[in-house]
Amino acid sequence: MPWIKEEKLYPILVLILIFIMAVRMPMDTDMWWHLRAGEETLISGQVYRIDTFSSSRAGQSWINHSWLSQVVMALLLRLGGLPALSIWVAACAVFSMGLVYLQMEGHPLLRSAVLILTAMVTSVVWSPRPQILSLVLLGLMSWLLFNFRKKGGLKYLAGIPILFILWGNLHGGYVLGLIYLGAFMAGEVLEKILFWETAGGLSWKEVGLIAGTLVLGFVLVLINPFGWEMWKIPFNTIGVETLQNLINEWSSPDFHQAYQQPFLWMLLGLLAALSLTGKPLRGYRLVPVVIFAWAALVARRNFGPFAIVCGPALADQLDFVLKNWAQKARRVVPAIESFLQSAEANKMAFNNTARNLLNVTLIVLLSVTAVVKTIQVNEPELVSQAEEEMFPVGAVEWFKDQDQSYKIFNDYNWGGYLIYHLPDLPVFVDGRTDLYGDEILNDYLDLVFCKENWKATLIEYEIELILIPSDSCLKELALTEGWKTHYIDGQAVVLGISTEK
Amino acid sequence: MNARDFVQNILKYILPRLGEMFFAVVFAAAIGLGPQMINVDGDLGRHITLGNYILDAGTIPTQDVFSFSKLGDPLTPHEWLSDVLFSLAHKIANLDGIVWLTALVLSLAFWLIYKQSLQLSNLSVLALLGGIIGVGAGSLHWLTRPHIFTILFTALWSIELEKVRLGLKKGWVIFPVMMVVWANLHGAFIAGLVVWAMVFLGELFEKQKNWNQLRVLIWIGPSSILASLINPDGLGIWKTGLGFLGNQYLVSHTAEYLPPDFQNPSFWPFLGVIGISILILGLSKRRIKFAHLFLLASWTAMALYSARNIPLYIVVAIPILCELGAKLIKEGRGLWVVDWFLNLQERITITERDIKGGLVAAATVLLSIYLLVSGLRLDFQNRGNVFSGEIFPVKAVDWLEDNPIQGNGFNYFPWGGYLLYRLWPEQLVFIDGQTDFYGEDLTREYEQVITMQTGWQKIFSKYDINWVIIPEDSPLAAYLADSDDWETSYRDQTTRIFILNGEN
Repeated sequence: MPWIKEEKLYPILVLILIFIMAVRMPMDTDMWWHLRAGEETLISGQVYRIDTFSSSRAGQSWINHSWLSQVVMALLLRLGGLPALSIWVAACAVFSMGLVYLQMEGHPLLRSAVLILTAMVTSVVWSPRPQILSLVLLGLMSWLLFNFRKKGGLKYLAGIPILFILWGNLHGGYVLGLIYLGAFMAGEVLEKILFWETAGGLSWKEVGLIAGTLVLGFVLVLINPFGWEMWKIPFNTIGVETLQNLINEWSSPDFHQAYQQPFLWMLLGLLAALSLTGKPLRGYRLVPVVIFAWAALVARRNFGPFAIVCGPALADQLDFVLKNWAQKARRVVPAIESFLQSAEANKMAFNNTARNLLNVTLIVLLSVTAVVKTIQVNEPELVSQAEEEMFPVGAVEWFKDQDQSYKIFNDYNWGGYLIYHLPDLPVFVDGRTDLYGDEILNDYLDLVFCKENWKATLIEYEIELILIPSDSCLKELALTEGWKTHYIDGQAVVLGISTEK
Repeated sequence: MNARDFVQNILKYILPRLGEMFFAVVFAAAIGLGPQMINVDGDLGRHITLGNYILDAGTIPTQDVFSFSKLGDPLTPHEWLSDVLFSLAHKIANLDGIVWLTALVLSLAFWLIYKQSLQLSNLSVLALLGGIIGVGAGSLHWLTRPHIFTILFTALWSIELEKVRLGLKKGWVIFPVMMVVWANLHGAFIAGLVVWAMVFLGELFEKQKNWNQLRVLIWIGPSSILASLINPDGLGIWKTGLGFLGNQYLVSHTAEYLPPDFQNPSFWPFLGVIGISILILGLSKRRIKFAHLFLLASWTAMALYSARNIPLYIVVAIPILCELGAKLIKEGRGLWVVDWFLNLQERITITERDIKGGLVAAATVLLSIYLLVSGLRLDFQNRGNVFSGEIFPVKAVDWLEDNPIQGNGFNYFPWGGYLLYRLWPEQLVFIDGQTDFYGEDLTREYEQVITMQTGWQKIFSKYDINWVIIPEDSPLAAYLADSDDWETSYRDQTTRIFILNGEN
């Protein structure tokens, strides 16, 4: 008997592979302002909720829906620096994918293959941000519901309200949980009302319990420092019309980009699997898949939730197709049957010690690779290099020697970095789109796209310094209007009306 | 024949069938959207000008005659036949003629989708529903472009191929004949070969093979590929098409090749069709034919990759989904909604059995000709089929006609076709919408200038640019307006024309 059975070996190997995929350099544009907000909360002992980071929204209250995640991130940074954040992201990715695996049915090899595809789709949103915790919580919720449906028992359902209390403090994505819960229930109800399958479904009483959990979850997200205002978060965020112009992840998918194509493979794989089974997909799988596919096509940040919901459905259907094909193939070509029998015999004859050795070697090799990658992506030199490529490192150094009471206009993607590295310099804008709203963001876009009113906008906000990419059209325009270059490198330029204050 | 029989016979022709009503409504809708179809895309001007050139000179140009940046360079006129048709329509009735031609082609294409859906589902109400959803999803690419002929030919081609697949058609000669026409109408004739490849592969995968059908299918592909070479540029048409599609930069910088933006509500019907396809396949109790699976999967991928493929996806997918939907509906007998639907369908089928129809469709098309020729505006917004002054530099070109400028002018890319339409041959353009001809290098140079990337002034020197026509609200206009080297010669709410100081 081998130490690690086949059904455990494959997921272990795949989950280590996923760790290797997910352990990345912690370098995200929004990560910095989350860290600073977390620090502010830790230092003051009160949830950071009044804006002090920007000049355009200074003093305004802000529904900081991710305050608990920010505290976790800030503590991780204190404890282990950037490598700790890097490992945290990978651990969250592995945990959420592990939960997806547990909801799949079929041969471990097939489940592992589908899990890799699921991970590839989800990997687009693996970054050191509170969003990663929404993936974990969605994975947990779908696993709890799956078990409730399969095994019964209130203990699984009882975990869901706790999830919602956590979710309401960790990330505004709690709405994903409500949608999933609603879609799961709708699938069960539709299956009952319509025609396709009734065996193995939930009873009406159990459906009622899910409905109760949904209502309870909706109420429990209110247990947070902002109370009922948490309900406004999804509307505040989606209501920002400029969002998709500003943030790539809020845009529709662009399949010209290779890294987004795994979503397309998954969608086509699902269509193919559904076409070939001739077996209806269960309602609790089908309705969430349709809803989350819609969400992912509208905004690519929903790739992750879609993959978490779709992975188990795809594995179920493919398992059915492949088993059918295998049976037919065995019947049609007797040689296949005899080959499979001899392969099974050879497997049995294979020495257990040798199998153990091989399995352990594989696990150790992959684990070592994971450790090496973790060290490599956190190599200080590499991190500095990436930082210089993404952020205005030189300009920030220049700013440190200046009076920081100027009103600046800055690039949106650099706002968080400035907030963290220049704590005394209020930014014009950063990734907190729900705080800035269309008013500020539209003015920001007018400036970066050099619209006709660019001069008036700068005057309106009393901007004294501009920090933008050095190849920006705003630089060309500002220079013709007498702005002076105070600092320039390949990445950024600082322009000013006057150096005197 | 008594009076009652006479009236009944007349009514047979007057009363429309569902499909005919659908055709008439789609035609009327397309006519109503005329100004939108003309103005959303900037290439119509180029198509009319090229068509005019061919008709006047009696020759199809294989070298560029429209731009000063690439004058005399080899050109693949892969849409020459469409351009001639657009030019003829324009000569007869100006832009009204082009809108009428486009409406006719589109309504025929969508009527064919309805017919095919009916053929596969045997439920006319479902086919009509499919057609309506198809119009909702496909209408975003209702434009006065040669692409409309590809929509029509994809529909014709798919119908004929399905007949071969079902064993209802034994001959293959019609396919290369269609391909000769298609390849001269529009460069996307390759879509037909994709449809063929999917059907052929699908049939190869089927356990129960009909070798007679496969033999016919085998002939269709190679014969059609050979037929596509019958065009003014022979193999060049393939090189241009595949060269363009293989160029990631050009593809990602050409508006209609961009993926659908589902934040835009006009793409939601397409999103709805994708959702419906997952639902129908998820509920289906039978495996679908490999040919249909391959068609559905490949065109879903292509439509998600480039929005311009959405109408072609609709042509292929709607009949397949109707067929599957019909099976689901029939399996759902006993459910009150299904029974009500099937009852309604039965009543419509009985009513339609005695109707010949035809008059309403013919009357709609003929009446539109009469009304358009009478000068009546048939579009929904009552603007008339004209180029919009809010989108194109209409008044600026009026001014340029009165005040011609000598030398090379840099122009906004989407206006190139319109400038040719109004000013060619007196004025050549820097660039227009024929991206596959202008290529990556020139397109990059254009982008460098219009976004004012470092070194953009050198492009002006390279091409000896001494005047510029660009949108009033563009960053470049803001820069040139503040520059001492350039002077504003003309300005309105849409356009600004600059002349290099000391010129003209």
